[in-house]
Amino acid sequence: MTIGDLLLLRFLQGRLRTACYAMGGMTFGLGCAVAAISNAASYLSDDPKACINCHIMNPEYASWQHSSHGRVTVCNDCHVPHGNLAAKLFYKAKDGSRHSLLYTLRRENQVIQAIPGSKKVIQQNCLRCHRNAVAGAVAPVHQSFERSCTDCHREVPHGRVHSLSSAPNAAVPPLSPVTPNWMKKLSSGEVDK
Amino acid sequence: MNEKRPFFGWLIFVVCALGMFALGLLAASISERRNESVQARLQFMEPIADFEADNAKWGRSFPREYNSWELTKTDNGNTRHGGSGFRDYLAEDPRIVILFAGFAFGKDYNQARGHYWAVHDVTTTKRVNDKTAATCWTCKSPDVPRLMKRTGLANFYKGKFMPLKDEVKNPIGCADCHNNKTMALQISRPALKEAFQRMGKDIGKVSHQEMRSLVCAQCHVTYYFKDKKTNYLVFPWDDGLGAEDIEKYFERLDFSEWVHPISGVRMLKTRHPDYEIYTKGIHAYRGVSCADCHMPYKSEGGIKYTDHQVQSPLLNVANSCQVCHRWSEKEIVSRVESMQDKHKEILSRATEAIARAHLEIGDAAKHGATDQELQRARQTLRRAQFYWDYVASNNGMGFHAPQETARVLDKALNLAMECRLEANRIRARHGVLEPLEMPDISTKEKALAFAKPYIDAAKAKEKPTPKP
Repeated sequence: MTIGDLLLLRFLQGRLRTACYAMGGMTFGLGCAVAAISNAASYLSDDPKACINCHIMNPEYASWQHSSHGRVTVCNDCHVPHGNLAAKLFYKAKDGSRHSLLYTLRRENQVIQAIPGSKKVIQQNCLRCHRNAVAGAVAPVHQSFERSCTDCHREVPHGRVHSLSSAPNAAVPPLSPVTPNWMKKLSSGEVDK
Repeated sequence: MNEKRPFFGWLIFVVCALGMFALGLLAASISERRNESVQARLQFMEPIADFEADNAKWGRSFPREYNSWELTKTDNGNTRHGGSGFRDYLAEDPRIVILFAGFAFGKDYNQARGHYWAVHDVTTTKRVNDKTAATCWTCKSPDVPRLMKRTGLANFYKGKFMPLKDEVKNPIGCADCHNNKTMALQISRPALKEAFQRMGKDIGKVSHQEMRSLVCAQCHVTYYFKDKKTNYLVFPWDDGLGAEDIEKYFERLDFSEWVHPISGVRMLKTRHPDYEIYTKGIHAYRGVSCADCHMPYKSEGGIKYTDHQVQSPLLNVANSCQVCHRWSEKEIVSRVESMQDKHKEILSRATEAIARAHLEIGDAAKHGATDQELQRARQTLRRAQFYWDYVASNNGMGFHAPQETARVLDKALNLAMECRLEANRIRARHGVLEPLEMPDISTKEKALAFAKPYIDAAKAKEKPTPKP
């Protein structure tokens, strides 16, 4: 039996095979719907809007936008590694799964803090742009992670004070609606006109 | 096959049922939390009605933003060249009385105070009288969109200012920039939308960051009234936002606001093109918006929010400039002031040249120069004062775009000097070889007294006494 046979359920016959196709199709369709309402595709991009699909990142979005980094960087510039594409995507998948799990189980902390693995990535990314600025530094900052840039530059870029409720009315871009426009038009009767 | 192993079919059934159930739960959970991001973001104490103009009502749901907005009534003291305290431009530089002689700005011209004072100040200025158009309310109050809707836009503009005095009570506030349901920034004044349309741009498709400047550009821009009958508000942006673009626009229309009573020049007037000039500066180039400097983020305890006390960044350096410029406050202020000092120096020279040009053309006419002889000098002076005004009426004393404003001022100064050469050549042709002695206009009162006979004479000429 080849892999193709397995995938196409050739080992089943008759009505059972049809029924399995039907159920597989339903599962796939529902899976697509879940992907759509969770904006799953947006996580492949570097758009900061993807990071506020879940509203708990709103304060981080707002403080980034109001900071000196707001015009020159996006979230991913600092928060995912940029060595190579595979490393970037792997890190995104790993970090993203952790986030979505915590979020779905409502286990997010009131004050979000970078975990050690994330701190390491952030530090590397500080150096990615600011290497020249620290090249002459007495302490070999880029060799040891005992001290990181943000230990001193604590305001960069999200400010010292932050929690889930620190930017209550932050004007962040709203989520785009799940229902497509043509469907809305249908239900509001605009199509008749 | 399933006859032989019936459990196999049931197994598939159960696995699929569980899978679908789990997926369904996940979908429901995602939807629920999506909903949170819509609802949790804004917490209204009570819904805010459409066209709600009372800022205090918005303040019940958004107390921090409201309280900081309310602070626009406080006078934090002026900065060296600006601020939002009281400042009488005509008293500070009485030569401006000559430049605006015969026009409302020559009577009363003060620095704009905080948003809180908008309605108070527009109803107490001497520029406003019974003939004033309702259009002048446009930028003063969130009551205006309601009135525009009630009578229709064109009819609103056509009306008079005074009859609406009892209906316009709330100074510039929440509804001018915010949507009452989503709090998103929105354009509430049609003139900006229309200007974008004429430029072939869709204002509905700009980024949030651009909106943080464009809501200001509803009012902090130059404008004119289409004609005396309709008083329709128009932004002269069809050719672009630069000084040359706007001049080209007005020349095409052969537009003029008033005839100068001393020099007889058909004048143009620019009004605070703050947004236009900002777009020519380094901060705009770097994507910094008006709100980034004039309404910076503010921390209060554990909460961060946008400071709605719109004011000069020089009064709030730590929250605005220092976010990007990591120097000491003193260094930042002295850097800005040194730019502004230099700007003011050029501005002052241009003001002097234009004031003298008006008087010299007037003197040439007094000694018998004809309109035809003076035509070129007048046209040059019209342009000179237009360029001068494009910069002078701007807030920020040149800081919003230092090189651009210096360039435009240089153009104004050069044109004014060309005009003076021409005017003096004509004076000489009519036998006056001595330079014109400047009258004593060292104070606002003296300047007003000097201009008055010219203004009266021009008025008398305009309205010939009816024959018996």
